[in-house]
Amino acid sequence: MIENKTTLGFWTYIMSDCLLFASLFATYAVLQGNTYGGPSARELFDLPFVLTETLILLTSSFTAGLALLAAHAGKRSQMLAWLGATLVLGVTFIGLEVSEFTALASEGNGWWRSGFLSSYFTLVGTHGAHVAAGSLWLIVLMTQVARTGLTERMMTRLTSWSLFWHFLDVVWIGIFTFVYLFGALM
Amino acid sequence: MNISLRSYIIGFVTSIALTLGAYALVVSDALARAETLTVIVVLALLQIAVQLVCFLHLGAETDRWRGATFGFAALMTAIVIGGSLWIMSNLNERMMQMTPSEVEHYMADQS
Repeated sequence: MIENKTTLGFWTYIMSDCLLFASLFATYAVLQGNTYGGPSARELFDLPFVLTETLILLTSSFTAGLALLAAHAGKRSQMLAWLGATLVLGVTFIGLEVSEFTALASEGNGWWRSGFLSSYFTLVGTHGAHVAAGSLWLIVLMTQVARTGLTERMMTRLTSWSLFWHFLDVVWIGIFTFVYLFGALM
Repeated sequence: MNISLRSYIIGFVTSIALTLGAYALVVSDALARAETLTVIVVLALLQIAVQLVCFLHLGAETDRWRGATFGFAALMTAIVIGGSLWIMSNLNERMMQMTPSEVEHYMADQS
């Protein structure tokens, strides 16, 4: 990957974002049992659905990598194709998550229901918001590259974006494991 | 196939395997709960490491700053999560163990 002051600075931002998620994970861990008489994780979470979300996001991280490889090789069309695939997967992930959230909320199991659900919606919702922001950023980048071409500046931006996108999949590993898999077991 | 492409493919395939492995373990009920929890945590940490190296190319840089900032952030994360759990568990032990309705009755009695 491109190593310059900008990408190191962006990497440092990513590390600070880790701390944000760390506190959200810690909050969830403390509150996951606080169901206030309402449903628990085991009753609410649909594991096959979550597995689908997980594989979609993971694949999008892979296609993002392929896009950056194409970019480094100067293959602009190939890069745009892989970025397009990443965007489709990312937006699909968001759509699935939104459907999951609306289903819960419409049954009365929104973030207002209990400490467990508050912390769940905050943690997973914050991750989802990051994915949405990353998707929007991707659209902007794709538009820019289509116009200006693969300049050094665009490469730095693409690198920063890819760090963000890969990082979100790393966080999701934590969510998949500590929220959904643990939830199914407790 | 160049080195980087191989890196992404290895990362992708390994991550899928670790994800499906953890999922299958939970769904199949093969082990006792404590063992299952331990194993899926290990699988998660492995997958995080795999993605850090294969996707985020941690450790591949010429200078040491990315690794250093990651190490520091990892330490801070461990302290925030571990410390919070320790403190909250401690506080929980020291609290009167009441159910929500008992809490409501207690609060109503205060007035």
